[in-house]
Amino acid sequence: MFGSYKVKIEGELLEKVKRCSEIAGYASIDEFVTHVLEKEIKKIMPPEEGDSASAELVKKRLQGLGYIE
Amino acid sequence: MDCRAEDWGLRKIAWLGSMLLLCALSALLVSCERARGNGRSGHKLIILGIDGMDPQLLTRFMQEGKMPNFAALAAKGSFRQLTTSIPPQSPVAWSNLITGMNAGGHGIFDFIHRDPQTMELYFSASRVEPPKHSLHFGDWVIPLGSGSADQLRQGKAFWEVLDEHGVPNSVFRIPANFPPIKTKGYTLSGMGTPDLRGTYGTFSFYTDDATATAGAVEGGQIIPVELNNSQVSAKLIGPDNTFKKGSPPSTLPFTVSVDPLESVARIAVSDQEFVLKEGEWSDWVHVEFELMPLLGNVKGICRFYLKQAHPRFQLYVTPINIDPANPALPLSTPASYSRELSEDAGEFYTQGIAEDTKALSAGVFDDGEYLEQARTVLAEHRKIFDAEFPKFRQGVFFFYFSSLDLNSHMFWRLMDPHHPEYDASLAAHYGSAIEDFYIQIDQVLGEVLPKLDDQTTLLVLSDHGFAPYNRSFNLDTWLLNNGYIALKSGSSGDENEPFVNVDWRRTRAYGLGLNGLYLNLKGRERNGIVQPGAEADGLIKELKAKLLAIRDPKNNSPVITRVDVAREVYQGPYADQGPDMLVGYTRGYRAGWKTVLGAFPPEAFEDNSNPWSGDHCMDYTQVPGVLLSNHKIQADAPALTDIAPTIFAEFGITSPKGLTGHSVFQLERASR
Repeated sequence: MFGSYKVKIEGELLEKVKRCSEIAGYASIDEFVTHVLEKEIKKIMPPEEGDSASAELVKKRLQGLGYIE
Repeated sequence: MDCRAEDWGLRKIAWLGSMLLLCALSALLVSCERARGNGRSGHKLIILGIDGMDPQLLTRFMQEGKMPNFAALAAKGSFRQLTTSIPPQSPVAWSNLITGMNAGGHGIFDFIHRDPQTMELYFSASRVEPPKHSLHFGDWVIPLGSGSADQLRQGKAFWEVLDEHGVPNSVFRIPANFPPIKTKGYTLSGMGTPDLRGTYGTFSFYTDDATATAGAVEGGQIIPVELNNSQVSAKLIGPDNTFKKGSPPSTLPFTVSVDPLESVARIAVSDQEFVLKEGEWSDWVHVEFELMPLLGNVKGICRFYLKQAHPRFQLYVTPINIDPANPALPLSTPASYSRELSEDAGEFYTQGIAEDTKALSAGVFDDGEYLEQARTVLAEHRKIFDAEFPKFRQGVFFFYFSSLDLNSHMFWRLMDPHHPEYDASLAAHYGSAIEDFYIQIDQVLGEVLPKLDDQTTLLVLSDHGFAPYNRSFNLDTWLLNNGYIALKSGSSGDENEPFVNVDWRRTRAYGLGLNGLYLNLKGRERNGIVQPGAEADGLIKELKAKLLAIRDPKNNSPVITRVDVAREVYQGPYADQGPDMLVGYTRGYRAGWKTVLGAFPPEAFEDNSNPWSGDHCMDYTQVPGVLLSNHKIQADAPALTDIAPTIFAEFGITSPKGLTGHSVFQLERASR
């Protein structure tokens, strides 16, 4: 695992985070913050095509589901 | 009489009265709060989740007197069709049930998802990753940190809400819960749980038959062996060894001594030896793969099946399952619970989809062999059920059965004389296989019904129904033929590999997964060209009209009866992350085998010749599930998204925000 890191959000920002999280329909503030960070990270550090597992490996993994050949 | 004293006396009485009233009110409030906190004291809710139970088949078997317990439940309580998810695929459907939200809220849109930046494909519900950083010493690689197993479903599971309100709960094998989320209750992961190799099931088949094609087949591996002096030396294939350069698969040697005269063989693996007759299965065998001497070992379990001793040697080995007694990846909450279960009920398949449909599709199993394996899976589930159900005292007990789904997939062709793969002689032997599994589920219900009392609510439900799968429609081939997908100049589409030679700078839309149709959207896909807004809207409209107009050239029948636009049917924070359109095939049709992963078979239409002959990844209105209860279901058109609110209402819990459904025991709101 990669460990964990706590971030302190307080005051007006916390209120806005709470409101946005509710308006958008997230199940929790944690889920909202994680999703926003993931989206922002993808913008700043777009994944390289070489980062992904090989198509063959993915196919092999998925075939056990039954729905694909 | 002293008036003041009298006043005081009266005031004292009034004060005492007020205090008593206050106390009474406080007690009432506390008791209300407790009721809200802990649910209705002593109340019980049992949910049997029967994947793929179809309302038409259930009705038929009840009418034929083959399912007396279901018939009794339907007669005394209620039986309704249950509106399934869009699209009607198990990970999506069960996530609708788990969270009370549609895919826009839980983020599971299909079995298969893609990263729009890399076009990497992955299983939508969970992801298992090796460690990303490592140190290299010669041939050895020392991972820094361990790999990870991530659950990708978002939203709050109903049992998390129950935990918050102090309602005890046990949830067994529910799909889309691997690794199991942290909870106070007892859970065991189900569909989505990988085997030890990180795949969703890879069998091994050892044979000295020179005509067998060696190498990887769908969902398995054919491994050639030589029989020398009646001895076979071979290796079990374990997880990739990330401690070694190039991450080669780890292996564990085993030997087989084949009796030269009799059809038996002695198998020796590690310090275990056992004898199998031809056609016989071993018990679960514990195996251990050494990844790094003295440091890194990983444990698993597998079963051996001696298909043939003579004249050809044929030995099948199940996917190496995670050992529930020593799980290499988390399987349960609490973590020790999978061990306790294996002690109580014996070892069991831990991989999410245990029925080895691929061994049948690949011809490694015949129908009878597959059926025996599938019956074993159900027998294991029933053993776990029998061990755990009697312990249920309060709160919620959920148990999932996979058998009707997988076996309706595999045996529809022998139940339906109209199916292109129908074979009368095979049907004489196996034509009642689906019915037999329904009857077994009826037996399970027969164990539950006598336990119902005034304090107990029962829900029996399925995530979707079933339909024949006779013809395949290759969506990506159709998109290519109609100019929506462009290939790099001078190249052709690959029949097998995902999106090979696609020129993304000239491609407007692509199909992926069993029902998904995506626009190549600017700003979302790496090389997206379709502008969001008017251009995207126009393209959606155009595609929808063309898809609905398609006719099968074989019989001029309509192929697609419904196309849903994602933004119209999904609500929630993830609504824009899935497909832009959901293709709803009519009964008899499904996305073709190769198009699901973005390949281009030459023809847009093909007959489905695979034993996998029934399916449900179609127009969701044509494959509803079932909902039965011992109580009166008030909702005329209950949906999967109503189940979580029903669970909450049973315990006096207000549904969390964002849930649109409501208890099926309440009259439907006019606004629905």
